[in-house]
Order: sequence, then structure tokens, then C-alpha cells
Amino acid sequence: MNDEQKIEKLKTFAPPEAIAHPAPRRIFVTVEPSGLVALTARMKAELDTWFLSTISGVDKGEFFELLYHYGDTSGSVHVRTKIPRSDPRLPSICGVIPGAVLYEREIQEMFGITVENIPDPRPLLTSDDWPAGNFPLRKDWKFDRPAEVIPGGKK
Amino acid sequence: MKFNIPIGPQHPALKEPISIRLSVEGEVIRDADLRLGYNHRGVEKLAEEKSYIQNIYLCERICGICSHSHSTCFVQGAEKLLEIEPPRRGVYIRYLVSELERVHSHLLWLGVAGHEAGFDTFFMYTWRDREIVMDLLEMISGNRVHYAINTLGGVRRDIDGPLKQKIFDGLAVLRERSEYYLKIGSSEPTFVARLAGVGRLTKQQAMDLCATGPTAKASGVALDVRKDDPHDFYDEVEFDVVTSDLCDVLGRTVVRIKEVLESYKICEQILRKLPDGPIAVKSPRRAKPGEVVSRYEAPRGENIHYIIANGTEKPERLKVRAPTLGNYAATIEMLRHGFIADVPLIFAAIDPCICCAERSVEMVDARSGEERTYRFSDLRRMANERARTLPLQRNVAWPL
Repeated sequence: MNDEQKIEKLKTFAPPEAIAHPAPRRIFVTVEPSGLVALTARMKAELDTWFLSTISGVDKGEFFELLYHYGDTSGSVHVRTKIPRSDPRLPSICGVIPGAVLYEREIQEMFGITVENIPDPRPLLTSDDWPAGNFPLRKDWKFDRPAEVIPGGKK
Repeated sequence: MKFNIPIGPQHPALKEPISIRLSVEGEVIRDADLRLGYNHRGVEKLAEEKSYIQNIYLCERICGICSHSHSTCFVQGAEKLLEIEPPRRGVYIRYLVSELERVHSHLLWLGVAGHEAGFDTFFMYTWRDREIVMDLLEMISGNRVHYAINTLGGVRRDIDGPLKQKIFDGLAVLRERSEYYLKIGSSEPTFVARLAGVGRLTKQQAMDLCATGPTAKASGVALDVRKDDPHDFYDEVEFDVVTSDLCDVLGRTVVRIKEVLESYKICEQILRKLPDGPIAVKSPRRAKPGEVVSRYEAPRGENIHYIIANGTEKPERLKVRAPTLGNYAATIEMLRHGFIADVPLIFAAIDPCICCAERSVEMVDARSGEERTYRFSDLRRMANERARTLPLQRNVAWPL
């Protein structure tokens, strides 16, 4: 399936203005968070996008942008969705793509986004004593390294 | 009766510190769980504070074995953002190093697989021959591990005539040796019997869990970024995507041996076609606002970088997904229904690094409930013991 055929198929269930084709083998589809699971299921059934490479989160200030990168045998399709910073909620796509769980866990702890219906909500990368409310990949998060204390050293 | 066994976080069979909790009934693993983050270095956050040229060297240090993969993946994307076209000679040298790196990574893995299966001669042989490719990489780039050959707009070192001849000679020796390994494998029934049926992952499971690289290819999934998304270069050389339908550690071994042979083919084509001209162009420091998705087939699977530029000399965001993270979900599935003695083999099969070996594993004896600490050497001895007492599966054939 080449890019044009993929776009033709995408147009049957996504509005044409939501589809972008900035480079060969790269197709971007924008969708509302409420329609994400339905679009993922349709894409998996019709475009064969069962291979989720990863989910990228971007802090854009007022809102968070999430990109679901799908690879297939002729290029890649990227689903873009935006959620407001004031109410960061996202539906889980694990029902359609079971392999997404690790990436959704990463998104949850790095951006403080609540992924609804995630099968396994535990943190993935942060340590057990990670302070609550700290989301490292948000742009306003700054890390101040605590001063090193050498036992028995000079005060 | 079920017992939980923690393995790690300081576990020798893994390249990174990782904690795996196994739930066992007797010798059989019923469930497995992963806990990551012991080696999280915040590279994505750090990349936002570094310029594009600095980020090449940062990306190179994400991994110690496939270092060139990350820097190439980043450079491919950054060059699109900076709107520069590297000269053909530079591109060819870049991917020559890529394929040589794949050879060194797979030969390393074959040695580890032989070692974990109790076939140490194989380990000695493959690692001796790996030195040939390591020496070639050192001659090309000046370094053995972090080659630092990539730069924005090309590569940093050229190849001259005598070096080209040395690479041809080295590849001829390596090809002969790799074909010899196929022969050894086919005449060594204990090795084949030890690997067959261990760490099963069906095609459907591999697809559901988004496995990548040789792990997926050994389950019959023919996904290879070099074929599917041939970023400016891989459509100019001929090679085949290797798959296997065995769905076990034996299949992963077969895929890697055959992939090495394909890489020799690619290297020889690169050297024969190597165009004349400059190796790099000058690159601007600032990139116009934009975004790019860069994909690359690393030795372990698909590597993806997503870069956003904001008009300054630093990227707004760099998202990195290394192939091993993609394979963790599949590893849990492979461990399920396996034996404790197979754990080293299954871990090794997704291609971790064993050089930091000899730490301890806490184990609970299922019958007495007694906790004891095994050194990794004990675990390996148990694995080898199992191989020795295994009823020889006469009907298993070397599938090459």
C-alpha cells in the first residue's frame, strides 16, 4: 500500500483537513481525544497499523500534544491528538494495541496525564521515592541538584 | 503453590539494571513483571538544552553497543530539519559503518547465546572473529565503541584505497567464518536441542505486543525499516529481510546469523559503488520550526527519533525510543511458561549485554520456602546442567 492509497483509505473515516502528508512515507492524522480509540481500531483493521513504535508527548504550553507513531511495511502513519493542560485526560488504546501499555505508563508519569482505563497504572521509570506532582518532561519542570553532603567533610 | 522471585535490579544478564519479578510454581515460571528506571538518565530532557551538534554526541552515548544507530537516527532527522543534503560519499560511508556495527553486534550476541547454552567454543570463536570487524571499525573511524563518525551534513572521516582493500579482505574472512558457524550448528545436535522451543513467542503475540527487530523476525513478522522506510540509501542496495517461523530462541539465532550474511552483502555493494566527491557539507546552526520523524533499523530492531525544531539552535523536543523498550512486553510473554534454568537464554535472546556479569539473584525454593542467593555463575551452571540431562531431541533439525 503506497501513501496515496493509505490517504484514500484514511479519508473514508477521517475528515480530509485532518490528514497531512509532509514528506514521503510520513502521514499525519489529527483526531480529538474522544475519537482516538475508534480511529485506532479502524486504522488497525483497514491500514494494518498493528505495530505501534512509540507514543511521543510534547508540552506545548496551553495543551499537550501526543503522537502515536505506527510503522508498517511501506512507511509510517502518525496520529496526533491534543489535550488541554488544565484537564489532562486521555483514553487508553491498550484494548486495541496491547503493546501500548509501556508507552502509556511513560506518558502518565512524565507529563502527569491521566490515561483512563489503562490496564496497569504503575509508574514505569521514576523511582519509588519520586515526589508526587513532579512531571519531568513538562517544560516548566526544573531540576535543582541538592548540594552534596560529604559525611565528615567540611561544613 | 506460587512463589515470587525477584531478579535484579543489578542483574548481570541485562545491559541495563532492571528488576524482573518472576512468579514460579516449582521450576515453571507462571508470571513475570518488569520494573524499569534504574538507569534512567533523562537524555530527552538534557537534549532540549544542547545544540544539534552536541546532541549527536549525546545520542551516541544512549547505547554502548549500537552507538552508531542512535547518532545516525538523530542525524538523519536533524539534516531534514536543517535542510541540508549530505553528499553521496558521506552517506555511503555512514551506512557502511552501520552495517559493520550490525555485524559486530550480532557476532557478540551469537557468542553470548553459545555461552548461555553451554557451548563455550562457539563463544570463543565468534568473539575472536568479532575482533576483525572491531579492527575494521577502528581503522575507519578511529574508535572501537563510540565511532563519532557522524556529523551534520555527512561524516567526519574518509576511506582511502588501501583501507577499502583491507575491508574487503576482512569481509572475506568473516563471510567464510560465518558460513562455518552454520556448518557447526547443523552438526551440533545438543546446541540445536537446547535452543529449540525455548522462549516461545507466536506471530500473533509478537504483533499484539509490538515486538521489533530479530525478536519479531524470528516469529515470522517481516518488518525491517531498511526495506519499509529506506531513508535515501537502502533502496540503492540489494538485500533480503530475514525471517523465521520457529518463534523461539533457535529462530532468533537463525535470523541473526542470516542477517550477518546479508550485511556482508550490503557492505560489499557499498564499497564497490562508493561514489567520489566530498564527504560532508557545511551545516547551518539554526533549524526552521518544524518536526521530523526519523526511523532506523538498529541491530536490535526499530529505532525511532521524533525531533521538533523551534527556530533556535537547540531542538524543542527530542523523543527517543530504543528497540529494547519495544521488546520488553514480548519478553514477559516469553518468560511465561518457561523454566528458571531458561531465564538466562531468554534474556539473552532479546540481545542484552552480559559483560557486567557475576552479580546475585535472590531465589525462593518453592518446596521449603527457603530464600537463597544464587550467583549468576550458579544459575548458568543450572542451565548447563539442564542442557546435559536434556533428553536429546533427535527430530530437531538445524533449519538452515
